[in-house]
Amino acid sequence: MIKDFEYSAPGTLDEALSLISQYGEDGKIIAGGQSLLLLMRRKLVAPRYLVDIKGISSLDYINISENGDLNIGALTTHRAIETSREIQQKFRILSEMEENIAAVENRNWGSIGGNLCHADPVGDPSPVLVALNARLEIVSVRGERTVAVEDFARDRFYVNLAHDEILTEIQVPCPAPRTGSKYTKFSILEGSFALASVAMSVTLNAKSDICDDVRIALGAVNSTAMRAREAEEVLIGKEITDELLEKAGEVASGEADPIGDMRASAAYRKELVKVLVKRVGKEALLRAGKDSWEGSSAKSDGKVALLGRR
Amino acid sequence: MKHYHVIEKDTPNVDGFAKVTGQAVYTFDMTMPGMLYGKILRSPHPHARIISIDTSKAESLPGVKAVITAKETGERRQGAWRRYQELCDEPVLCLEKVRYIGDPVAAVAAIDEDIAMEALDLIEVEYEPLPAVFDPLESIQEGAPQLHDEVENNINVTRHIEWGDADKGFEEADFIREDEFILPAQSHVPLETHGSLASFDGGTNRLTLWTSTQTPYYVQCLLAEAMDLRENEVTVIKPHCGSGFGGKNELFADQFCAGYLARKTGRPVKIVYTREEEFTCARRRTPIHYYLKIGAKRDGTFVAKEARAFSDGGAYTSMGATLLYLTGWFSAFPYCYPNYRYDGYKVFTNKSPSSSMRGYGGIQANFCGESQIEMLAADMGLDPVEIRKKNAMYPNYEVPGQATIASCGLPEGLEKIGEYIKERGELPEDHGIGLACYGFNSGGIFNWFNTPYAFSGAEVRINIDGMVDVYSLAADIGQGADTTMCMIAAEELGVHLDDIRMHSGDTSICPSDLGAWASRETLMMGNAVKMAAADAKRQLFEVAASKMSANIVYDLEAGDRRIYLRDRPERGLSYYDVVKDAIRAKEGSLIVGRGHYTPHGKGMISPAFSFGVQAIEVKVDRETGYVKIMNAFTAHDCGQVINPMAVRGQVEGSIMMAAGYAYSEEMLYSEGEVLNPNLVDYSLIGFRDMPSAVTVDCPTHEPEGPFGAKEVGEGITCPTAGALANAVYHAVGVRITDPPLTPEKILMALKKKETQEKSPK
Amino acid sequence: MKRELKITVNGDLYELYVDPGMLLVEVLRDRLGLTGTKRGCNSMSCGVCTVILDGKAVKSCTILALQANGKNVTTIEGMANGSKLHPIQQSFIDHWAFQCGFCTSGQIMAAKALLDENPNPTREEIKHTMNGHLCRCTGYNMIIEAILDAANRLQEEVK
Repeated sequence: MIKDFEYSAPGTLDEALSLISQYGEDGKIIAGGQSLLLLMRRKLVAPRYLVDIKGISSLDYINISENGDLNIGALTTHRAIETSREIQQKFRILSEMEENIAAVENRNWGSIGGNLCHADPVGDPSPVLVALNARLEIVSVRGERTVAVEDFARDRFYVNLAHDEILTEIQVPCPAPRTGSKYTKFSILEGSFALASVAMSVTLNAKSDICDDVRIALGAVNSTAMRAREAEEVLIGKEITDELLEKAGEVASGEADPIGDMRASAAYRKELVKVLVKRVGKEALLRAGKDSWEGSSAKSDGKVALLGRR
Repeated sequence: MKHYHVIEKDTPNVDGFAKVTGQAVYTFDMTMPGMLYGKILRSPHPHARIISIDTSKAESLPGVKAVITAKETGERRQGAWRRYQELCDEPVLCLEKVRYIGDPVAAVAAIDEDIAMEALDLIEVEYEPLPAVFDPLESIQEGAPQLHDEVENNINVTRHIEWGDADKGFEEADFIREDEFILPAQSHVPLETHGSLASFDGGTNRLTLWTSTQTPYYVQCLLAEAMDLRENEVTVIKPHCGSGFGGKNELFADQFCAGYLARKTGRPVKIVYTREEEFTCARRRTPIHYYLKIGAKRDGTFVAKEARAFSDGGAYTSMGATLLYLTGWFSAFPYCYPNYRYDGYKVFTNKSPSSSMRGYGGIQANFCGESQIEMLAADMGLDPVEIRKKNAMYPNYEVPGQATIASCGLPEGLEKIGEYIKERGELPEDHGIGLACYGFNSGGIFNWFNTPYAFSGAEVRINIDGMVDVYSLAADIGQGADTTMCMIAAEELGVHLDDIRMHSGDTSICPSDLGAWASRETLMMGNAVKMAAADAKRQLFEVAASKMSANIVYDLEAGDRRIYLRDRPERGLSYYDVVKDAIRAKEGSLIVGRGHYTPHGKGMISPAFSFGVQAIEVKVDRETGYVKIMNAFTAHDCGQVINPMAVRGQVEGSIMMAAGYAYSEEMLYSEGEVLNPNLVDYSLIGFRDMPSAVTVDCPTHEPEGPFGAKEVGEGITCPTAGALANAVYHAVGVRITDPPLTPEKILMALKKKETQEKSPK
Repeated sequence: MKRELKITVNGDLYELYVDPGMLLVEVLRDRLGLTGTKRGCNSMSCGVCTVILDGKAVKSCTILALQANGKNVTTIEGMANGSKLHPIQQSFIDHWAFQCGFCTSGQIMAAKALLDENPNPTREEIKHTMNGHLCRCTGYNMIIEAILDAANRLQEEVK
């Protein structure tokens, strides 16, 4: 079913780099391949040479440095990130995001790097990494460079990566003190793809509850994960209240530029952004250590839904 | 109360070992020496004239062994409507016209799948695209594109059901409601797609077809007709089947293409539908535009109901004609309407044929009817349970001039639901409980297939070692029919389950059965198997009576491998000893018992009816419209339970499928093309979304059923969607009349409601 | 060009030559005749092709066979010990945890991986971990009960 190709499975990064630089446009990298093989089966992608980097163990690691920065090898599986104790403790948003990606079988085989390079606009890791201000290390025989996750995906299924380059590492800076982050996706069924998603990272002032910094990333509402910069402006420098979050949600909703498709209309997706920003913001603030939260989330209108209500 | 040895007890599936070890062989798994792989070329147009087909390039591709088109299959049209030939309107392969995206045009057999696929690309078909129509209400308009020359205004079939005087009834009503509903297309999604392996013996002119079907007998007859063979020159074998849900009831392209290609090449040919073909080219649940009017007296008594249905029938009659009748029939269920009138129109559209699917017509009727009753109750200020109790069918109720409901556990079910709701007490905010009642057929009597055989036939043979061979064509497609039949045979013969060996699914050795549709196997084949076992038992009793020389006033009974005097159970013989003597007494010939069942004196619809009521609890997120289905509480009557765990499996499986219909599943179309023909974009309820389920039995004894049993496989798909819509209404006050109830629809309805409430009156 | 594939399946080492485009599920079913592993969607959505690869459950419909080179695969055919069923298999039978059976191999392999990792899962954990496995027949609850029971049986065995 899949068009024939030549396969190689180099054991080291250097070998892999030299192979893909040799193959140029005819070559393609495969990691877990869970996205690529679907495209190849439908003949949307038909490389002459497939370079399988899945076995390069030097790109499979999770390190947290002494200063608290997180480095993840591009071939680290989703499942490894999800189940890493250190990540659960220090980058909870990442493990929470991972545990709701597809099925455990997919997470056992698929890698974070492969996911980012596929650049599906409904992908979960991108918005989270954008909110965390993560950068990517990219290597080729020509040298190395880094790029912000935010600037990596350029369009749906299209990333800032030359034919001879390999994404090798995801670098997540240590969050400042009093930073809290949260990610939520909305899907009709549990664990399914997002109709809209929001990741937010909030940093509060050391002495007050003023918001020193915030990064809001939206998923599934544009061709790539996007920053909601205007919504961030609404919050920065202020003490965040319910009303302010509501406003940020509205502004973010305006920034979102979703498509309407069979899964949901554009208007509905915008509506979801509004709600998610508000909800995610509250949780992120709690995690940042805002201990007195005035806004009460459960607005009671006094009505109790009962069968047979007249 | 009768004490049973075998039935009524949780009994694991007789195919369990094979299924948990991966040894169960499905059509999908089969190969044969020298086997070729077939693929079907399908129309890319929703409606087009075929100008020409050139297969020469495909035929000359190395590895291609045969290509077939309508040149081979001729002008023949097929369909299961053998009593109504004009409804057999589906070309075997399309000759002049294609009528939906996916209509089969040609087929190829090649030495491997890749070559077969490549060959499809080399077949040159010139089409002249024609204007197409996709909505039934547009399709019946003057000037709409016509799908079939001989059918005016695309009205394929009409059905009328009437009793009493509906107009007069409405005049007497204190409250009247009229509502409109639009029901979606659902896909069956059997995890094993349609597939067949055909082998043709040119010496004897005989064809054997292994196929994933729920109706081996229909496939045998229809394939024989399609290929100009005698009925018994075709053997159809159903290996383990990866489910059907009504989608494998007819003759399909994989079956006749594999048959034709096997005959043409002289080699076995296998064709399996891809998942995309399964979505686009198989069948689907019938979408319907429904208009309902109901009238009630001030005290809640229903006095009249009127229903009109326009079904999106797709390109051919398929089994949608029966649906058109059944949805009208079920619109009057499960309540007593003294006056009722229904008019149904099955309308052709340029989409795949809509057909039978679990809950067949009932699920559509039920969603509309139960939504409307709830709205009526709200208008009238009546309690949803009480209004249902007031009108519920009851034992021995006669549906005027149509059928008599013998056993009916609905009144008890409503009691249980009432108690459950009381116990549940005050609900948390944004939770709601919705109700729906149902009644459903235990098999269909309408013999449009025109079988000359008994509806179900069975044979029981007892061997010298006491092992019993049961032959039955009941199609086990996962529901557990084989296990049920083994239990019924064992109970009747008084032996243990491991004394029974089941032979099923092979038309060459099993007496006929119409197949697994309309929830008919337990009642109909159950009766046939029970009768066959009784016939064999009688022969054993003759020998036992003579050996025991008991007073002839005593009756004999068989149980637990003994034959004994009913009133003096200590006096008895070993079953094994009796068998040995009985076979000797017959000069060494096996003990053979035969049974057959065809309903008589039960009208033209169904011999018996199951009933039940379901309460669905949901929690609705007011800001996103998201619905969490919390729990399904079901009180149902399937007559005498044969295998409790199998019953539970049917109930919970039905809930999963119907919750999908209500909330997440829908075949989406653009210009006749299915937009979501895969399991990424077509969303089935999964582990995390499945609600907890509590089920209580309200057993009755159905006089027409084996040991008093009725159906359980389909009826329970009927209430869930309506109950869920009612639950959403009670939770947040919005009414959705076009399932699935997606979060988006709910949110938009909430916003609309908010605006209306804010706006000054 | 065909490539050499050395793969251990249910304890047996196989040496084959395969097209690079061949999927793991195709090698198992079409080359080794292990048809207990099914294919349902070819889009990683249904889970019927699940096998255990070096201790982890994976979907064999979307893995190149060559990516499993040198690795260990366990399929449904490797679960029973002769005619003695694995406790998970027995639980599936005892709880009517399948109907048509087409998804059952995948369910059992996923349940095995789950219980290997978490011998005493809660209902919620089972739902979460099994979520990639579609079943059109059972409504899932009876599968959950089978897995809970299998966990008990396996712990009994250990004692």
